[in-house]
Amino acid sequence: MRNPLIKRIPKELVSDWHKYLVIIIFMVVMISVISGMYVGHDSMLASVYAGREELNLEDGSFELSKKASEQMLEGISSGELADVREYFIQEGMKEADEKVAEAVEEELDKKVREAIEENVRLQCEAFGITDEDIINDRAEKAIEENYDSAMEEARNSDEFKQAVDDAYSEAHDEVIKAVDEEWEKIADRYELNAEHTPVRVTIYEHFFREENEDFDNDGISDANVRIYKSDSVIDMASFNEGRAPESADEIAIDRMHADNRGIKIGDRITVGEKEFTVVGLLSYVNYLTLHESNTDMMFDAFGFDVAMVTPEGFDSLHSRIHYSYAYKYDDKPADKVALADHSESFMKCLITQSLTSDNEIRDYLPEYLRQASNFAVSDIEGDSSATAILCYILIGVIAFIFAITISNTIDKECTVIGTLRASGYSRSELIFHYMSMPVIVTLIGAVIGNVLGYTSFKDLMMNLYYESYSLPKYRLVWSNTALVKTTVIPLLLMFFINLFIIVKKMQISPLRFLRHDLVRTKRTKARRLPHWSFLRRFRLRILFQNIPNYIVLIFGVVFIELMLCFAFGLPDSLDNYSDTAAGMMFADYQYMLMSNLDDEGEVISTSEETAEKFCAVNLLYPKAKSTFRTGMGSGGDEGVTVYGIDPGSAYITVPEGTSEGSVYISSAFRDKFRISAGDTITLHEEYENRSYEFTVAGFIDYDGSVAAFMNSDDFKSVFEMEDDEFSGYFSRNEITDIDDQYIATVITAEDIEKVAVQLNHSFGAIIDMFKYALVVLAAALIYLLAKIIIERNEHSISMVKILGFKNGEIGKLYIAPTAIVVVFFSIIGFGAGYYLMLWLFHAFMLQMDGYFAFYMTTGSMILSVLYLLIGYAFVSVIDFIRIKKIPMDVALKNVE
Amino acid sequence: MKENFLEIKDLKKSFGSGEARQDVLRGMDFTVAKGEFCVLLGPSGSGKSTLLNIIGGIDTPDSGYVSINGDKLEDMNEHQLTLYRRKHLGYVFQMYNLIPNLNVKENIEVGAYLSDKPLDVEEVITTLGLQDHKYKYPNQLSGGQQQRVSIGRAVVKNPDILMCDEPTGALDYKTSKEILALIEDCNKKYGSTIIMVTHNEAIKNMADHVIKLRDGVVRHNDINDKKVPASELEW
Repeated sequence: MRNPLIKRIPKELVSDWHKYLVIIIFMVVMISVISGMYVGHDSMLASVYAGREELNLEDGSFELSKKASEQMLEGISSGELADVREYFIQEGMKEADEKVAEAVEEELDKKVREAIEENVRLQCEAFGITDEDIINDRAEKAIEENYDSAMEEARNSDEFKQAVDDAYSEAHDEVIKAVDEEWEKIADRYELNAEHTPVRVTIYEHFFREENEDFDNDGISDANVRIYKSDSVIDMASFNEGRAPESADEIAIDRMHADNRGIKIGDRITVGEKEFTVVGLLSYVNYLTLHESNTDMMFDAFGFDVAMVTPEGFDSLHSRIHYSYAYKYDDKPADKVALADHSESFMKCLITQSLTSDNEIRDYLPEYLRQASNFAVSDIEGDSSATAILCYILIGVIAFIFAITISNTIDKECTVIGTLRASGYSRSELIFHYMSMPVIVTLIGAVIGNVLGYTSFKDLMMNLYYESYSLPKYRLVWSNTALVKTTVIPLLLMFFINLFIIVKKMQISPLRFLRHDLVRTKRTKARRLPHWSFLRRFRLRILFQNIPNYIVLIFGVVFIELMLCFAFGLPDSLDNYSDTAAGMMFADYQYMLMSNLDDEGEVISTSEETAEKFCAVNLLYPKAKSTFRTGMGSGGDEGVTVYGIDPGSAYITVPEGTSEGSVYISSAFRDKFRISAGDTITLHEEYENRSYEFTVAGFIDYDGSVAAFMNSDDFKSVFEMEDDEFSGYFSRNEITDIDDQYIATVITAEDIEKVAVQLNHSFGAIIDMFKYALVVLAAALIYLLAKIIIERNEHSISMVKILGFKNGEIGKLYIAPTAIVVVFFSIIGFGAGYYLMLWLFHAFMLQMDGYFAFYMTTGSMILSVLYLLIGYAFVSVIDFIRIKKIPMDVALKNVE
Repeated sequence: MKENFLEIKDLKKSFGSGEARQDVLRGMDFTVAKGEFCVLLGPSGSGKSTLLNIIGGIDTPDSGYVSINGDKLEDMNEHQLTLYRRKHLGYVFQMYNLIPNLNVKENIEVGAYLSDKPLDVEEVITTLGLQDHKYKYPNQLSGGQQQRVSIGRAVVKNPDILMCDEPTGALDYKTSKEILALIEDCNKKYGSTIIMVTHNEAIKNMADHVIKLRDGVVRHNDINDKKVPASELEW
């Protein structure tokens, strides 16, 4: 015979359908979100990973100052270290030999001339000639006649040979000494003396150009576009729409950039000085996010683009070619540790080969540290797990609400339970019975949630990803993870939380159930309350009676406030950053030059009146490795721009009287690393073995970048620059008379704002949706808990109605305690959420490159509390209607 | 001479401690034979409900023992006690304690589910005169009808002992007599041993065995040779 208690379950579901409907909807939404997220996530990652194989993603790339020779490429391919020491010794010796030979020739010439002149003087003296003019005249003639033979004789003398040998030997010794000293430093820094396991690689030419893109052909540049050739066999692209370019005036551009800028297939855009027709929208396998530089805090799909043109199209452009090479390891590293070892070994090889080939490394980046190909993957993974954790917390809250509901039902049914226990029902049978409802509800939620997850929510998630990233077309895959995370974990959460509460509740003996003796308390008397008014004390009693409900409520409220802080704070922080950082920019235009001299060796100058020279160098500030989210951030140390500013600068005031070893740092630098005045910071160069120690003298209000400032004289002395050297120009107006090829970068307010613009574009709409979802969530949570409180007190409410209390008064008694708890803890929750967000934001920013702080306007602060209270106001109305509907005969009729 | 089925030996039980200590059972001894209709009679506070609870294995004595068919309850652990109640006992309380969202038939099935040898549910419903009400919920029934369901739930298990704690305490005169007649029928028809706690003196007349309690001890332990049917009881 089946346990007849099972028949209660559907009846219970039907009789209290609003409560279960709210819970089921809640579960369905949570589970659909997690399911959609994981299905979307797994499908997207599957296509990304498949793309990495099919589109031949590099294992790393490097850029050189000039085209590499065959010999250099062979050297790099072999993975062997070049003998840098020997190379420099040979080079040094060559140079030394030339110098010694020159010096010897000069000395010999001088000596021979002196000897001949001396001889002539002796002869004149013997003949009594004293006229200096005659002597000089004779000496010149003698030199003319005898110079060659004298030189020959001197060269053949043993004395000369010995002196020359000595000079060469001394010079060679000096060279070896100097090379050894330098070698020791380099070898130390890159561990070049350690045992080296060569890593063989295949190298691919992957040159690109960077041009201005003017998508609306109005003559104003809208973006910087990096252009590759269509015949490349490495880092290829997949086409979301259209096709690859086939003629010299066709171009395919990044899908995300096209989407952000509203560019469509068939549009004509100007790149450099040439017009192209857009024939394809693509996603490059190594540009899933449009990070222009690996140290950019955020990708910039507005101001940066990647594109593909035919080789002929490439040749028709005029900007300089970036000699970039991609490589792939011949033996795939087995794991992440091996990958790091491979890249370290390769870097050593690259450095030594570039030194011995006299070809400077401009850039080197192993693929696993490349933000453009890893940021999206990491974000997709990070988003999924973060969202899943948030959903689990909410499912946990629901499980507690369920447990409280069941606990309440057990209280109500205590005599029945006592009777059943007395009749022979075991404790486990009853626990099983009361456990079935939460498990069934969770299963219903999981089934519906998963169906929605695989259908509509999956598309929602995909669209979110496509809104942000340049991802390839996805392929739907079955996700085991989704099944586990959407069914098993919620079930386990629901099961164990309810089991814990129900088992605890069922510990009571059958007799105590029969006697309604359910509360085990050490108190023998009721809690004494102050001499407050009767109504106040009444409310307080209700509060004490429902402490477990209120604890769950408080947890829910605090959690929702935290989410609201995020929802309001993120757009505020972005706005604040773009307003203040851009406002704080010291110059409207900041031009960094490739060098201060042009091809003819002339100083690069401008007629722009507001232009002012400055010096700058990019160094690194050591940063602890974080595992907050691997793949985001450049993975390396923080880039710091150190500026040398002229005294009396119209743009930045560096206080006078600072010593050479001290710097002023930007407020962003201070806030990101929590540096105080008087602290010592050590900055180091990226590819060279040099580090600099500075004392922080003070701060300059600038949130736009992590930077340090010193006066130009100190700067030139520290960085060994000539007095007339400089790195670029600050200017209030655009500088038009410097050739593009001499300009490395231009920084404008737009560059500072691009982070905010991009994030606002990617997340703006979803953040608003998130806010409203939170209000509904808050209302649902409070609804469920308030319902329990009123149900529990139905009898008493009915009784006070009989006694003559009005509905309004009863409302004040039974709704006010919840209102007080909700209002009080929304404010407390907001405070906790705000400070937690400050901390979380800072921890997240430490991982990223650059900095912006968490910020909320007063209006947002008020709104984040108000939103929750609006949700609660709806619930209060429902509660009041519920109280009104309780009939008076509840107090009069039997328990049954 | 009938064989002893239930043996109560020197049973003591008190509540509270110190000055507040109250001795509810102060050494009780008696036996009940198999199939007997036994009434425990006494005023309130005489310890009759406590005694019933101890016999039912839902309370424990301070000393002394209860033995059923030779098995002492004090030797049983919680699991064995649950099995004991499941296999041997049926309970009827003054308040009916029915499950509100199960109908009459289902409430009776709740008892049948527990038994290895349950009676036919339909037959019990007919015996209790609940045929017309079997699909009604408890709140659609009168007090007497609810108590019938509660008896049905206990009887359908075909228990060795039917424990009744003031089963007519909340009912009117006429309904009380109907309920008593039903319990009497069950005793006759199914041969269950009945132990009924009541403070109603008149009920003793329908019992085989009357034990009068006062202040926690047995004052009278009588075998009733002049049993009258429940329908003839007057009070």
